[in-house]
Amino acid sequence: MSHIHLPDGVLPVWLWASGFIIAILIGFILFRFTKKEALTKKLPLLGMMAAAMVLGASVEIVPIAYHVNLMVISGILLEPSLIFLATFVVNVILALFGHGGITVIGLNTLTLSIEGIFGYLFFRLFWKILKRLTPVAFIATFLALCLSTFSMIGVVGLGVSHYEELIHKNEGHGIFEFKLLKEKHDPHGEDKGKGEVNFRRFIAIVLSLSFLGWILEGIITTLIVRYLHRLRPDLLRLEIGAS
Amino acid sequence: MIQLSYLDYLSIEGRSFLHRLGPGWKIIGMLMVLSGIVLLRNLFGLFSLYGILLAFFFICRLPLRIFFLTLYPLIFTVLFIFISGFQLHFILLVFLKALSGSTGVVLLLATTPYPLIFRTLGRFLPSLLVTALFLTYRSIFILLKVLEETQHALYLRGGFQWKHPWRSLHNISNAFGHLIIKGIDASEKMYESMMLRGFKNKIHYRGE
Repeated sequence: MSHIHLPDGVLPVWLWASGFIIAILIGFILFRFTKKEALTKKLPLLGMMAAAMVLGASVEIVPIAYHVNLMVISGILLEPSLIFLATFVVNVILALFGHGGITVIGLNTLTLSIEGIFGYLFFRLFWKILKRLTPVAFIATFLALCLSTFSMIGVVGLGVSHYEELIHKNEGHGIFEFKLLKEKHDPHGEDKGKGEVNFRRFIAIVLSLSFLGWILEGIITTLIVRYLHRLRPDLLRLEIGAS
Repeated sequence: MIQLSYLDYLSIEGRSFLHRLGPGWKIIGMLMVLSGIVLLRNLFGLFSLYGILLAFFFICRLPLRIFFLTLYPLIFTVLFIFISGFQLHFILLVFLKALSGSTGVVLLLATTPYPLIFRTLGRFLPSLLVTALFLTYRSIFILLKVLEETQHALYLRGGFQWKHPWRSLHNISNAFGHLIIKGIDASEKMYESMMLRGFKNKIHYRGE
């Protein structure tokens, strides 16, 4: 849900172009401070985790149009600098299957890496405080998803005036005649605002569906973390004594 | 995602004029489709663009089975109907943009083998990024194989049942956990074999 599933051409050019520029800048800064040897060594792991995220994203939970991202668990395993590249790669591949437009790859990378990076940071922070794996993994995932969903809503909100422009573009000279309908039903301006963007309704729908998604993903990530801790505790790089 | 291997098969085995066209030209074509999607704001223009892409789809005799892949983005686009207050023009505009984008992309993938796409991208993008893309694409096939095997184990443990949500979540999480561990093992082996073959941050394609 924190993913922007908008197709190409809906967001204004300045918005998606800024997304690309900021993503490139962050990527450049992150790689400047990452050792090349370490990066080469972790490339196959990055590929595998990105592939796992792509597969996770293809499993759709139909009633709430939700799919797991596995972004937090990938963030915990890959660490912040690599999760950014992994997120970019995942978004490119998902866009190639129509899962979000190609022009929104930059914005998707930014919002989804918020999930991965903050998931990692929250996991480390709460581990230091609580030292209990189950609540730590759940809270870290829930908060990270919450943050990235709000950032996605913020991004969509930045384009409101553009959506209004798209909606009103056709009035009076399109293939379907809306003007006649308006004259018939709205002689005194009763339907004022009907043609305007209803961003509050969008936020209400996204947040109510997302809340279920945060809980679902929180539970799944927690169970995966526990599974990994049972079989390969070295991957989580935690001190012994987790419960 | 299961259709990925079928798309791969089509891109190699197909004999249409789009299959024979150079990957560079097809990527330029895809960029033109994207520009059209971004710039066009009237339904006639978008209908025409979608019509042209559909014509290409059927002229290339691509099977109907993959046509349904082009409809996939509509699942997500539905959510954005609510933002417009159900304005028909906006809904059609967004749907046509989504369909044009996905049809263009499916046309590209079904007529161009992915190593050729990555080789062409490698001329413009940083080698690290293209290598990561290539490894991810390859890893999807490895994980799909693991997933296929895991599905049997999942089924024997009760699979996914709405009647038992907690057990189902447990099963799904264990399957993903298993997938991640197998993936990490495979990535370690992949790294060793790549180093033995002299890998240095760049994958070289046949003909380079």
